[in-house]
Amino acid sequence: MTQPLPKKERLILELLVSEGPFYGLQLVERSAGALKRGTVYVTLGRMEAKGLVESQQEALPPGGIGLPRRIYRPTALGERMLRAWTAFARELAWEMKP
Amino acid sequence: MTTNGPRVPGTTLLKIARLLVNDHLMATVVQPTISDLQREISAAGPRRVARLRAQWRGYCAFCRVIAAAPFAAWSRPTESAGAVAFPDVVARLGVGSIVVALVAIVGPMLGPWVAVIIVAGMLLAFGLHAWYDRHPSEIPTPDEPPCQRRPQINFSCTEVAGNIGGLIFVLGSVLIIAVGLPSVIWFLFAATAAGCLVAWGLVAWHASRPRRGLPENLIELR
Repeated sequence: MTQPLPKKERLILELLVSEGPFYGLQLVERSAGALKRGTVYVTLGRMEAKGLVESQQEALPPGGIGLPRRIYRPTALGERMLRAWTAFARELAWEMKP
Repeated sequence: MTTNGPRVPGTTLLKIARLLVNDHLMATVVQPTISDLQREISAAGPRRVARLRAQWRGYCAFCRVIAAAPFAAWSRPTESAGAVAFPDVVARLGVGSIVVALVAIVGPMLGPWVAVIIVAGMLLAFGLHAWYDRHPSEIPTPDEPPCQRRPQINFSCTEVAGNIGGLIFVLGSVLIIAVGLPSVIWFLFAATAAGCLVAWGLVAWHASRPRRGLPENLIELR
């Protein structure tokens, strides 16, 4: 994968790796305004298609109403991608230090 | 979800979304968004203000999701690259909006007859579409396309069968030209009558000689 990791995807991966797994709404709440509830699932869907995260539909409790939620967790590829990107960003910052 | 119990919030949004997005987007984007709305309303309990706030946030999120859905290029990862990521309704709305915008811009410059012709053309298109929806064409499809050019922009490639759909097509075309060019109306009526006579003669000739000269690909005698 040669494309850079977009900012929102990096943030989601950081949250999921450090504190996850999370539901989409929990990610929005913990992102301090960086993620919006109208677009977080579009980003998560794109990340799932890339293989960076995986999701599972929760089981509704007996008698529960409404739609089941999806819980998201990072994949091994997602964790590796985040580590590589963090190392790259750190190295780049060190190189550019005056 | 029972019919006797209280109405589950988000049910209408779910119905609207089913019309607008494909199954993959429904499962990965729309349903989780509506699920969040339901959880927040449920968590708000009986407090009216909190419930209203949760509803407002949920509806705003739903609108953003629907607006972003057509641009979610990953929405059908397993299908071909040329596949449209949103269903037919959205495509029709898009095309309809473009047509309305063009008519609004160009219409005033061309006068009322243009509007009449456009309306007549639309009625003809709807009539043809409705006819072929109810009576699917039995025209045999050739192994190789007879015309490599796209029929949408090349009138000679449009296949019209010799049935009631073809008659609607011909009469509609004549009507549109007659309305748009009133000075040639008698010529058109005479040409139509002559065309009908020639067609009747051809049908009679082919009926008497069924194996000679009958085009195999287009005309179907009924």
